[in-house]
Amino acid sequence: MSLIDESFELREIQRLEGHTDRVWSLAWKPATGIGGVPAVLASCSGDKTVRIWEQSRLTGSFECKAVLEETHTRTVRSCAWSPSGKLLATGSFDATTAIWDKVGDDYECVSTLEGHENEVKSVSWNASGSLLATCGRDKSVWIWEVLPGNEFECVSVLQGHTQDVKMVQWHPSMDILCSCSYDNTIKVWAEDGDSDDWHCVQTINESSDGHSSTVWALSFNSSGDKMVTCSDDLTIKIWGADIMKMQSGDGIAPWKHICTLSGYHDRTIFSAHWSREGIIASGAADDAIRLFVPGENGLIDGPTYKLLLKKDQAHDMDVNSVQWSSAENRLLASASDDGTIKIWELAPPSGK
Amino acid sequence: MSEKFSATLRLGDLNDYISPSQGCVVSLKASSTRQDKSQNLEKVGTATKPLQTEPVKISLKDCLACSGCITSAETVMLEKQSLDEFLSNIDRGKAVIVSLSPQSRAALAVHFGLSPVQVFRKLTTFFKSLGVKALFDTSCSRDLSLIESCNEFIARYKISQSTGDEKSKQSLPMIASACPGWICYAEKTLGSYILPYISSVKSPQQTIGAIIKNHICQNLCLRPDEVYHVTVMPCYDKKLEAARDDFVFQLESPGDTHGNTGLEITEVDSVLTTGEVLDLIQSKSVDFKALEESSLDKLLVNVNEEGHFYGVHGSSGGYADTIFRYAAKFLFGKEIKGPLDFKIIRNSDFRELSLEVEGKIVLRFALCYGFRNLQNVVRKIKIGKCEYHFLEIMACPSGCLNGGGQIKPKLGQSVKDLIQSLEIAYTENVLVADPFENPIIKGLYAAWLEQPGSEKAKKHMHTEYHPLVKSITSQLQNW
Repeated sequence: MSLIDESFELREIQRLEGHTDRVWSLAWKPATGIGGVPAVLASCSGDKTVRIWEQSRLTGSFECKAVLEETHTRTVRSCAWSPSGKLLATGSFDATTAIWDKVGDDYECVSTLEGHENEVKSVSWNASGSLLATCGRDKSVWIWEVLPGNEFECVSVLQGHTQDVKMVQWHPSMDILCSCSYDNTIKVWAEDGDSDDWHCVQTINESSDGHSSTVWALSFNSSGDKMVTCSDDLTIKIWGADIMKMQSGDGIAPWKHICTLSGYHDRTIFSAHWSREGIIASGAADDAIRLFVPGENGLIDGPTYKLLLKKDQAHDMDVNSVQWSSAENRLLASASDDGTIKIWELAPPSGK
Repeated sequence: MSEKFSATLRLGDLNDYISPSQGCVVSLKASSTRQDKSQNLEKVGTATKPLQTEPVKISLKDCLACSGCITSAETVMLEKQSLDEFLSNIDRGKAVIVSLSPQSRAALAVHFGLSPVQVFRKLTTFFKSLGVKALFDTSCSRDLSLIESCNEFIARYKISQSTGDEKSKQSLPMIASACPGWICYAEKTLGSYILPYISSVKSPQQTIGAIIKNHICQNLCLRPDEVYHVTVMPCYDKKLEAARDDFVFQLESPGDTHGNTGLEITEVDSVLTTGEVLDLIQSKSVDFKALEESSLDKLLVNVNEEGHFYGVHGSSGGYADTIFRYAAKFLFGKEIKGPLDFKIIRNSDFRELSLEVEGKIVLRFALCYGFRNLQNVVRKIKIGKCEYHFLEIMACPSGCLNGGGQIKPKLGQSVKDLIQSLEIAYTENVLVADPFENPIIKGLYAAWLEQPGSEKAKKHMHTEYHPLVKSITSQLQNW
C-alpha cells in the first residue's frame, strides 16, 4: 500500500523555546534517534546562537543541551552536521563559517573559515565528510577540503551565480554539488578531472523548466536520483537524473524536469525536504507545513505528486525550515520566524 | 569589458551596496531588481520583489562597470583609459610613449603567428605611424623592480632573523606586489594584517612610468607634463593600478622658470589591454603581418646588439625565481645555475621551491596563482602557520599570461592550449639574463638612483598600501 492511500496526521510532539529571534535552519545529527541513541537536533537563529537539543531517554521530550554562542557576531543562517556527526558547521551573516567539535559536554569552535565577502547563507558536507561547501550573498560557492587537525583548505571558489546564493547541497552519494539562488537558477557543480578544479556542469533556469523567481532550497531523495526545489514563484519542482550512468563513471547526466507542483502554495516556499521514505515536506511564508507523496504510477503524464496533508498555522509566522529526521521515526522538525522550533510526528489519525 | 578584471578583483567587489540614491544604471537598463541589502531584510527583500518577467540581469561584471557599485569616478576613470583617449592625446600633440609588457608581446605573437621580436618591431612601426614617439618594454623596467625586490627581501630576511619584536614577525613572508588584482583585494578585504607583508616595490608598469616621467623624458628633451604615457598590459586591473593616487607625483624643479612647480604628474596616464591593442590594429585596417619591422627604441628595451631579447625566467614576472637565486647566493653562498625545481603542491598553480643548507630548509618560496590558492596562503598567514619566506601571488589562474586583458582563445581553442602556446612564445628567443647585469638598469642607477634601496630608489621605486575600512563611505572612495 502506498502512502497516499493511508490516512495521516501531523501531530505536534513538542514546541522548543529558547531562541530569542527567528529560527533559520535545523539539522538532525546523523545516527541519532536510532538504536537507543537519543535524537539530537541543532538549530540556528537570528539571535546569533546555535542550540543543541537532545531527546531525553526517560521522558522522550527534547531539552536544550548546549547553546553555542559568543562566536558568531551576527545571525547564524545555516547549520550542518558532518556525516559522522562529529563536527557541526555553521554559516553566519558575519561572513564566517565556524566548525564546532564536541569536547566532553561542551561544543568548541575548532576552526573558522573566512573568505566570503559578506553573509554566508548555507553550509553542506559531502557524503564522505571530506568536503564542505559554503555559499552566500557574494554570489560565490566555495568548496573546502577537510584536512587532519581541523584544518580546511579552499579547493575552489565558484562564481557562476549572478545573485545571492541561497543554498548549497551535496548529492547524497556522489561528489556533485547543487546550489540555488536569488538569480532564479539552480546550478550543478562537478570536479573537472582534467584541471583539478570544479566547474558548473548544468544551469537550470526558467527556459529549462526551472523557476521564475528566487530558488530558496533544494533537497535530494535518499537514493539521489531525484531532487526537489522550492521557490518564491510558489512552486515546488521535482527533477530526476540518471545516476546509474554517473555512478558508472559515464560522465555527468543532466537533471531533467519531472513535474511542477503548483497551485498548492500562495506564499513563498522557503524550505523543502525529502524524507527517507519519500515524503516531501514544505515550509512556507503562509505559516503552514505541507506534505507531498508520489501519486499513482503509470499515468501518461508521468510521475505525479499529491498533497498528503496541509498543516495550517503550524507556526505563528513564516516556516523557514522543515527537516525530516533520518531515523525511522517519522519525526519532522520545523523552524519559524516566531522563534520556536516544533517537533512533529507523522502518524495515523489519533482515535483510529 | 569588465569581465576582464581578474576573478579576485571581481570577488572583492561582491558587496552589493547599490544604494538607491546612486542608481544602478545596469538595473535600470535591464528593468530588474536590486539585491536585498541587509541581513534582517533577507526575506523582506524578496517579499517586496516585484513580479519579474525575466530573470535578474545584473551580473558581477555589470556591477564592476556600474557607477553605483564602486565609485562614480571609476567609469570616468575607465573612459580616460580607452583607445579614444589614447588617439585624442596623439592628436592633441602630446608626446605619446607606449610601454609594452612581455605578456602582451607574447599574446600578439601567438595571435599573428609571428615571433615576439617581429611583433615588437611591427608594433613599433604601427604605433609610430599613428604618431607615437617611442615604444618601450616593461621587461626592462621589471629588472629594476626585481633588483629592488631582491634588496628588500634581504633586508626583511635579516630582520626576521633578529630577535622577535613585532616588526621581525611581520617581515616575512614577503609577498610580490606586481599584481594589482591581488593588491586591491588585500587592501579592500584583508586589510592591515596582510599589508605589511607586501613588498613595497612598485610593479614594472609603475616603475617604467616613474623612469619615463622622472628621468628619461629629460634625455628625450621633453617636460614630464608633455608626455602622455600608455602601457599595454595583459590585465584590466592594471588600469586601476595606474589610477592610484600613490602613482601621481608633484613636479619639483626649484628655480623652474616655466612655472611648472607643483604640477601633478601621473606615472602612467593610461593602460590599454592586449585585446584593446588588437582592436586598434583591426580598426585601422592594417595588415599587421605585412608591416615593416622598425628598429627598436633601445633606450628602454631589453634587446642586445644582435637583436635578441633578454630577461628573467617566469611568465608572471619571475619574482620568486630571481629573488630565490639572489638570496641563495647572497645569504648562503649558493650559486644556482639552470632552471629552478618548482614542485607542484596541490595543483599546477601552487608550486614550491626550497633551499636546504646542512639539512635545514633555509629558503622556502612559492608561486601561488588564482583565487583559491591565494585564499589558503592568506589563511595560513593569518593563523601564523605560513612557512614561506616569499610568495609570488597572482590573482589569475596560470598567472599573468592568462590575464583578463589578453586576446581571447580562437574558436575551438581551449584556454589551456592557448596558455601553452603563450608560455612557449613568452620564452621564445629570450636570452635568460640576470637583472643586475642589465646595462640599461645599471645606467639608471649610475645616472639617477645611485644604488638599490637608496633614498632616491625608495622615493621613486617604492610605494605604500592602505587598508580600506569597510563602510559605504569608503566604498565610494575606493580609488
